[in-house]
Amino acid sequence: MTAQTPARRAPRRPKPPPGSRRYGPVRIVGMAVVWLFTAFNLLLLYWLVAASFKTPIEIFQQPFGLPLHWFQLGNPMRNYLYAWNEAGFGHAFVVTVLLVGAAAVSVVAVGAPAAYALSRLGVRGHGPLTSFFAIGMGVPFQTVIIPLFVAFSKIDLTNSLFGLYLLYVALSLPFTVFLLTGFFRSLPTELEEQAAIDGASPVRTFVRVMLPLAQGGLVTALIINAIGLWNETLLAIVFLQENAKFTLSRALFTFYGAAQYQSEYGGLIAGVAIVVLPMLVMYIVLARRIIGGLTLGAGK
Amino acid sequence: MTSATLRREREETRTARAGSIGAHQRRRRRIFWPFVGPALLLYVLFLAFPTVSAVVLSFTHWAGAGGTPVFNGLDSYRELFGEEAFYDSFRNTLIFLVVGGVGTFVLAFLFTMVLREMRGNKLIRAILFFPNIVAPVALGIFLGFVFKFNPTKQGLANFLVEKIGLPPLKFLQPEHVTWVVVGALIWASAGFYITILMAAVDRIPAYLYEDADIAGASPFQKFRHVTLPLTWDVIGIAGVLWTIHAIKIFELVFVLAGPGTYSPPISTWSLGLYVYDRSFGAGGTPQYGVVCACGVVMILLVSLFVLALRRLMRREAIEY
Repeated sequence: MTAQTPARRAPRRPKPPPGSRRYGPVRIVGMAVVWLFTAFNLLLLYWLVAASFKTPIEIFQQPFGLPLHWFQLGNPMRNYLYAWNEAGFGHAFVVTVLLVGAAAVSVVAVGAPAAYALSRLGVRGHGPLTSFFAIGMGVPFQTVIIPLFVAFSKIDLTNSLFGLYLLYVALSLPFTVFLLTGFFRSLPTELEEQAAIDGASPVRTFVRVMLPLAQGGLVTALIINAIGLWNETLLAIVFLQENAKFTLSRALFTFYGAAQYQSEYGGLIAGVAIVVLPMLVMYIVLARRIIGGLTLGAGK
Repeated sequence: MTSATLRREREETRTARAGSIGAHQRRRRRIFWPFVGPALLLYVLFLAFPTVSAVVLSFTHWAGAGGTPVFNGLDSYRELFGEEAFYDSFRNTLIFLVVGGVGTFVLAFLFTMVLREMRGNKLIRAILFFPNIVAPVALGIFLGFVFKFNPTKQGLANFLVEKIGLPPLKFLQPEHVTWVVVGALIWASAGFYITILMAAVDRIPAYLYEDADIAGASPFQKFRHVTLPLTWDVIGIAGVLWTIHAIKIFELVFVLAGPGTYSPPISTWSLGLYVYDRSFGAGGTPQYGVVCACGVVMILLVSLFVLALRRLMRREAIEY
């Protein structure tokens, strides 16, 4: 959000006078640890990407080497093709994109008006109601999974992507409402008042004035929810039984056992990469926004 | 035209305006329920009501979807507390929560001490944050590769251990795996809390650190006397987030400690895994009453820790 307004920058700190910059032993060790930790993360990422193109022997015996064998055989994408076609990740990918996309858009569409009403309309009782939503963040999914499962099997919503969609939307609401109430509260009131003086109805004010203002927050909420739901596994394991309906994390969970049994390590790593890399790309493009949103939620 | 009529006119316009503001407020209030309603309905239907149901069901005996729940008082809790699997799960969850939490926060604090003054710290933060956007299943499988013990196919960790001439270690044995999970948790979550804390540190005016520099403060003193007091509230919230996250750990343990097709050995379980195995796992008749009791224990544990944290962190807000 602040990323798009380069208007104000803090003045550059004046250079310290020569000789006053101290590099104590603590700082040097600290900096070394930070750099090592960072390098370690990058190394693991390299290992993951490289291994996803390797044969099992290469994975275990040359963990730092570049992949070679499948390239020499002219089939460099062999592991990805295996995971995509044989292990059902291709189908799961489409299912996940549609399910997560629909759920993330829906949760923001339902959560934004609620957050606006709770933070800006000044209706009595908005405080307790906001807290009531926030408490939902503290409920572990495991607590509600049995009542939900039993109720859903009664109305035939288990093993159903629509059922999972409903759950994803509902269970993402506490965080979304929490994040967006914080965001709406931080917006200036002048434009809202101006719209009221101009005679715009409250609904029109919300749609035409507040939503565009809140665009940054809405996009952030959308992305954070999308990442969370993309990675969600427990509900997908419990509520989906049929391979044709598996989401990516669900497919990976199932494939793990089978792949170990068949020593299909290449395909398994490629499966991990198929789950991780889309999020990595999204993260590289939108890191500022994701981090900004999370710290907004936690910082206020 | 007398001054009296003028005054009356002025008063009329004023009341008219006040009236329209009141009407406008009323119209604004009228949209409250239509705006909040859908979210509230979904929330109550799929989260609040099931939570209450779980509490009610925890006082029943219920052998799964075929049977009907029968009220049995505190028997479910008695059964739960009498079970070794529950103790193992409870102990491991506490280890994740407390040891993992202390480790994560100590690491995060250490990093905030040095990171503020480092060049490229935004990039470092982004790299450290990365494990947090990886699905826990994927992270678990990935770490399974890293810590694999197999004389012919050693994982990355044992590859390095053998390189420096030490005998390879069975990292993922039931007796060790809990600590591997703790390590993995600290490694993966530290980035998240570093990011949150650093965002709070960025809001602290630079002159406070400069003053401390002039006074000759060490990095630790700066942390103790500037950073810590001024980020106290954020640390409190971060602690709550950690609690919520740590209670429900499930996938990481399931994948790292077991073969993946069925549950790992009981001594490695977390509460999240207990609930899953006892209701949807492969073994035996499910006991929904006992599982719901475990769910209630989990929610109580969250509440207890959150309340304790708030009590512990209570303090006057510092304005800056």
